[in-house]
Amino acid sequence: MAERPEDLNLPNAVITRIIKEALPDGVNISKEARSAISRAASVFVLYATSCANNFAMKGKRKTLNAGDVLSAMEEMEFQRFISPLKEALDAYRREQKGKKEASEQKKKDKDKRTDSEEQDKIREDDNDEDDERMEEEEQNEEEEVDN
Amino acid sequence: MAAAATAAVTIGPTAAPVAEEGLSGEAAPAAAPPPQALAPSAGPRLSRLPLARVKALVKADPDVTLAGQEAIFILARAAELFVETIARDAYFSAQQGKRKTLQRKDLDNAIEAVDEFAFLEGTLD
Repeated sequence: MAERPEDLNLPNAVITRIIKEALPDGVNISKEARSAISRAASVFVLYATSCANNFAMKGKRKTLNAGDVLSAMEEMEFQRFISPLKEALDAYRREQKGKKEASEQKKKDKDKRTDSEEQDKIREDDNDEDDERMEEEEQNEEEEVDN
Repeated sequence: MAAAATAAVTIGPTAAPVAEEGLSGEAAPAAAPPPQALAPSAGPRLSRLPLARVKALVKADPDVTLAGQEAIFILARAAELFVETIARDAYFSAQQGKRKTLQRKDLDNAIEAVDEFAFLEGTLD
């Protein structure tokens, strides 16, 4: 199923919706044009990734971060994207923080219940350490890219 | 169904409810978008593009070792902005041709006319 990277498409329905909302009412788009824009978007992501990765490597980091992507936008001369992207990033971080706090609260409640049972306390501690480590890994927000 | 779709699409001009021709096959996935957060007023919208697909593109680069979730998200949002931008530039070309339907040649014109789109040359064929 592996094709060329340019064949990795973004969903047509979403692309079409984004296009339609960007254009005035009553404007249509041919299938060929829509398909070409979709492909262009894929190429854009590939190019931006490559650019961003250069910044990561310059910084001697193995993980692409948001800053690398912003630097890539600058390099690709899409400076006008930077401000809306920063806003989106802030909103995303707030949302992630909210999710994390919700799951931490759940964990606290769960711990309260298990502690009060007072059975196999040592095993519980070991499990908690594992949970914390796993959470830390999640917090690092690293997606393993198998290459 | 339409109500659910509109509710999930968030702020900004409401998506054209009726004239979604050409989306019949894809209406199902579009009507049940991934659970993105709703920005109450005119706050920044979180991405509509599925992060999994963006991640697949990022993984396609052999030089990339790891990519953080935030990076994937920002790339998705940037891709959206890119689509909006190129659509508008292509529309400018359609207007020149006094047409209300964007055609492939409008896209080609935009790519040629706009410096930032130079990276696309030769990639769309």
